[in-house]
Amino acid sequence: MTLERFAAIMDAYGTSPARWPADERAAAEALLAETPAAQALAAEAAKLDLMLAAAPVEAPSAALVERLMAAHPRAAVVTPAPQQDKGFFRRLIEVLWPYGSPVIPTGALAASVMLGVVLGSVAEVSVLNLSPANAASAEMETGERLVALALADATWPEEWMQ
Amino acid sequence: MDETPDDELVAAVAKGDELACRLLMERHLGRVVAVARRMMGNQADAEEVAQEVFLRVWTHAERWQPGKAQFGTWLYRVAANLCLDRLRRLRPSVDIDEMPDLVSGEPGPDARLEQDRLAARVEAALQQLPERQRLAIALSHYEGFSNIETAEILEVSVEAVESLLSRGRRQLRVLLATERDELLRSRETSA
Repeated sequence: MTLERFAAIMDAYGTSPARWPADERAAAEALLAETPAAQALAAEAAKLDLMLAAAPVEAPSAALVERLMAAHPRAAVVTPAPQQDKGFFRRLIEVLWPYGSPVIPTGALAASVMLGVVLGSVAEVSVLNLSPANAASAEMETGERLVALALADATWPEEWMQ
Repeated sequence: MDETPDDELVAAVAKGDELACRLLMERHLGRVVAVARRMMGNQADAEEVAQEVFLRVWTHAERWQPGKAQFGTWLYRVAANLCLDRLRRLRPSVDIDEMPDLVSGEPGPDARLEQDRLAARVEAALQQLPERQRLAIALSHYEGFSNIETAEILEVSVEAVESLLSRGRRQLRVLLATERDELLRSRETSA
């Protein structure tokens, strides 16, 4: 470790040994301990370090954390217990189509019913919801909504029937 | 879960594990905001960058391949590039000669006021640096990344990092010369 190299280290990294290149740290510390010229260089570099330490630091706001939590990836939830599969499916159809025999329904509602059950019978699937505005409704994605409806005695909301 | 490696937390995040999300943020969000703060010069922009960074973490969590790259390196590289992109887009409106005026003269008897003033001046001086020098200083000096880690994040050589740091610090010494004298004077008088 030459004084010239020590000066370059002070120039680039400042006075905190933790910042110095790992493979040169010990040699630089030794030089600093023994050499007044090195100590003078360090003292000079310390003045800038002192000022840099004054730069403002603010922790992330709670609002930022909340927004990110609201947007985090979600697993699709429909996972009926295996032994209830048959009964669950029947009950689901009957709750949604109480007008007679459980004919396989058609249209968008049918697709979501089928999707919900299919998803439930395989491994968890990740569903990414990036929109914080949908955070509230994210919890009631199709699958969960179906589960809630099927298992609840209460009547379903009007709009679900439309 | 505190010792859990980043890779495992990311895998858990992909499965919707809320605790893993919180832990990952606890571990990295503050530093990402801090790097962005040094780059953007204000907290609001810093938080916007950090939000974008973590939304990308959420999006990429499923596809994250442990062992292929260090999560930390990837994370701060994304943060760095987002900052550089934003600054590039903002550049036309930033007048490099428009440094906030030195509140010259009156030595404030209020130590807190002095500290705030110095903070603002340092922040302004950092804003004056070329972006890559500012970034090297943000990562190395402020966040304590080693020269090797900084080089990986910036995708340059260690020598290049050292050169960026030296030039940046030299420039800061010039920009903050007045503050340095004032600071030393006030320390002498209060000692």
